[in-house]
Amino acid sequence: MSRFLPLQITDIRRDTRDAVVVTLRPRPEDAAAFDFTQGQYLTFRHSFDGEELRRSYSICAGRDEGFLRVGIKRVDGGAFSTWANEELAPGMTIEAMPPMGRFFTEINPSAARQYLGFAGGSGITPLLSIIKTTLSREPKSQFTLVYANRGINSIMFREELEDLKNSYLGRLSVIHILETEGQEIDLFTGRIDAEKMTALFENWIDPASVDTAFICGPEPMMLTIADSLKKAGLDEAQIKFELFASGQPGRAKKKAVSKDAVHAGDMTEAVVTLDGATRAFRMPKQGESLLDAALAADMDVPYACKAGVCSTCRAKVLEGEAEMAINHALEDYEVAQGYVLTCQCYPLTDRIVVSYDE
Amino acid sequence: MNDMTIEDYLAQGGKLTSPGNVPPRYRGELLRLMASFVDSELAGAAGFADTINDAPGIGNRIAAAKITAEKLDHAGRVLAVMGEFGADTRRYDDRHEWAARVARDADLAAARRGDDMRLSVFHYPVQGYVDAVVLNVLMGLATVVQLDEMKRVSYAPLADTFREIAPREARHVELGLNGLRQIVARDDGRAEAVAAIQYWMPKVEATFGQAGSKRFDTLARFGLRHTENEKLRQIWTQRVRDLLLPMGLA
Repeated sequence: MSRFLPLQITDIRRDTRDAVVVTLRPRPEDAAAFDFTQGQYLTFRHSFDGEELRRSYSICAGRDEGFLRVGIKRVDGGAFSTWANEELAPGMTIEAMPPMGRFFTEINPSAARQYLGFAGGSGITPLLSIIKTTLSREPKSQFTLVYANRGINSIMFREELEDLKNSYLGRLSVIHILETEGQEIDLFTGRIDAEKMTALFENWIDPASVDTAFICGPEPMMLTIADSLKKAGLDEAQIKFELFASGQPGRAKKKAVSKDAVHAGDMTEAVVTLDGATRAFRMPKQGESLLDAALAADMDVPYACKAGVCSTCRAKVLEGEAEMAINHALEDYEVAQGYVLTCQCYPLTDRIVVSYDE
Repeated sequence: MNDMTIEDYLAQGGKLTSPGNVPPRYRGELLRLMASFVDSELAGAAGFADTINDAPGIGNRIAAAKITAEKLDHAGRVLAVMGEFGADTRRYDDRHEWAARVARDADLAAARRGDDMRLSVFHYPVQGYVDAVVLNVLMGLATVVQLDEMKRVSYAPLADTFREIAPREARHVELGLNGLRQIVARDDGRAEAVAAIQYWMPKVEATFGQAGSKRFDTLARFGLRHTENEKLRQIWTQRVRDLLLPMGLA
């Protein structure tokens, strides 16, 4: 089961107008849990008006830097990224799950490989981690980064990349593609499309020499680049993807129903068993799912999607009746056995007994 | 810069990379698909474990032990991906009696049974060493065909995991074929193998699912499936024939 652990913010700095770089430190006893691999991400959680939001951000530190660091770009209307950009300060504690993700290849200190990376905007964060780690741990390998941004002011980690180029002379090259600013070379102006990829392959990058390509950016960019790489002869196993979190809904939701508005007769006594322990609490029949009510009663019940599809929140109704608003996960026979997805479960009777243990 | 929906992206062959960027409906189908693989490997390993003792000679017992251990390892690897979606990986394994089997002559067709997601073939009991070797060859070949398909799934961390698993599952088939060649060298062994093939063929065939399955369309839209059940079944049938014919078993 996913477990959140506290991380202390040791440093925070503004990188561009709408992005901050946050350095974090786990408690000594959690250090092993946060021993990350380059290219992995952290999932954070924070409560907004009682509604918990979870967001994932890629680690941008190299494995040899001795700290955890993420870059958080503010998204318009994004509750979490706005909060991170405006409220976070050194000394604060934030909760995160241990690192996850497979956006990396194994490092081999004796290998002499050619890596190619494509980053769009804040898609640079995992690539920065990969680049730093590769340069320091695989001394014979070289890295070419193609980095797409709107304009020069929105380039995250611009100086850090320059410093890396100078520290590892001849081993890192960076090609900036800027959407809105003309550059000396036309090829480097505009968006990355199939035509630009062809031109890059003709003049700047030899696809035949590439061992592994990493792509992190928005969907259309990923499709275009992957398609061009495959046409240039790379196979699926050579192309590593990380889609950044554009698919995540941004705003915290309002509470559906105010508890004061519910009449006493509309309440249910819920008796919920989890890990052998049983708790009873009162909850409204409408407006709040059984899962949310159990969470509000401080029970650490399992859940993931809260959308009725992943079945992580499955529990069995032992007494009473309930209805499910949505069910994309449970088969008919499970429903017949009394199983419900608690995130979609609304009690119909004045008392309901539910177990997560069965 | 980004007005493409995840659905369009997937329809064009895009890859998803973390639980944070999969849409809810996709997530359910992906978790179901992973659960089916994990449960089948766990049930398969549980059913195959007795073969370690039944196999003749140390070499064959090592092969059976290796196959059993690696199937458990493969279950663990895919379960780890499920864990990133919030599944309780520690408790997951306790949910079912993986060694439980129905009667040898039961008829389940392709239906799932009980509350685990194992393929129906893993509900049938294995009877002795020859039976186990035959099941391992036939189902192993099916697994290789199914993994070729699953290596293309649009959830990149799972595709990577299947790419790691595939060559080892292919090796299990080779070990099984070695065992089968030894078996058919004796007349009584050959007769037993023929009977086992008759028993297991339709059951393994059923694991490819129905032709024109409705769920296939949903999965294909999500990039979780690419080749139709019927086509995969044909590839498997052909490979079985190509391998069993030289041994006089097809």
